[in-house]
Amino acid sequence: MGEVLSLIRAPAIAFFGGFLVVGGWIWAPQISSYLPGFSSSASSVGSGGSWFADSNRLGRPETAPVVRTCIFRVIDFGPDARKIEPSAGYFMLKAGSMSASVVSMVGKPNARAENQSAFMAAKWGELAGCIYAQDDRELCDPDSRAAMVEATTKFFAFAKQAQASNPPISAGEARVLENIGDRLLNALKNHRRYGTLVASDFSTFAPSEIKNVMREETQTRDICKR
Amino acid sequence: MYLLKRVAFVVGGIFLGINLLNYFVLGHTGDYLPGGERMGEWKSAKIREACYPALEFIERDGQLPKLSTDRHRVDWRDLTRTQEMTAALNCYLVTHPNAVCERNNRAYIVDSINRYFAKFDEMMEIAKRYGDAEISTVKNLWDSPRNRAINAALMRDTSSGRLIKADFGWTMPTAMKSMLDQYKGTADNCPKA
Repeated sequence: MGEVLSLIRAPAIAFFGGFLVVGGWIWAPQISSYLPGFSSSASSVGSGGSWFADSNRLGRPETAPVVRTCIFRVIDFGPDARKIEPSAGYFMLKAGSMSASVVSMVGKPNARAENQSAFMAAKWGELAGCIYAQDDRELCDPDSRAAMVEATTKFFAFAKQAQASNPPISAGEARVLENIGDRLLNALKNHRRYGTLVASDFSTFAPSEIKNVMREETQTRDICKR
Repeated sequence: MYLLKRVAFVVGGIFLGINLLNYFVLGHTGDYLPGGERMGEWKSAKIREACYPALEFIERDGQLPKLSTDRHRVDWRDLTRTQEMTAALNCYLVTHPNAVCERNNRAYIVDSINRYFAKFDEMMEIAKRYGDAEISTVKNLWDSPRNRAINAALMRDTSSGRLIKADFGWTMPTAMKSMLDQYKGTADNCPKA
């Protein structure tokens, strides 16, 4: 018995290792569609959705109705905007975020890279602001909720990246980001109270501003309950 | 004997791993279609290159799938893929109706049919999460004049024995099953070379 075990041990370990690598490669994209924390990008700022969030709570942000309403207010595609699907617009914003994160991670510190972080923070902030301005019950939709989580998380992550930059961003830019941040935190508090958002919607690595709101505020009602 | 068994395990693991990578990662699903007299090498299919022009200006083809409403949950990547697959299959089956008679082309076309129906099934699965309105949107999307022409061509090719159950093997799409069963045993009417 021991001989048989020793005979198959090494190949079995090799096969299991290979299976994990191959299986991980194959199934990871499918798993990620259920775990929005993974779904957005491998960027340093991630999407912000929790890996452990209920899949009924967080859907696909790119197809959210609120994204349809808001994305073209954030990104100007000019006269071609009508030909572009909102989910493609959202994808472009995410692609821009990935590029900004990569530049910030691997590039030399320079004003251009930092401007890009501030620019992305402003864009995600505008999107989040527009989403929060919609009817509160709109955000009971899992796709819209996922968009709200992603936009808010990315705003704070990029804002932090921009504020910690060297050379520093201008005072004017810093003030703009601060104002957006204040507005978003207020909206976040409301949605925490309404039950539209719960702590588990955000990932463990969510920016501290969000985690503080989720911890300090309590839910007073559930506007999504019918 | 001991060494041989060990080698067999390792070689088996490598073989399986390579095939898993080939099928799922590289997407060469055509390699796993049944072989034989009727089915050739999908990579050598001439129809593939012959239909490249059909995919060049997809946006200009008004008969390709289009979304019937603005209120939908279809991702633009799925929409684009639907249009590309429809344009390609339309070219393979409708523009070049005899292409399927050639062995290599048949293998490539069978693989394309499998992918076409797999994409439809995948989009329907997503649509089910959003209810009847979304299901209807996806069904309408896949009911363009080009899709209908593809369905008619599939019916014609199965009824004339140009495509048979054995060509699909274990990969047969559910949508094709009844069609292929109905015309089981039909002789191939391909023009003889």
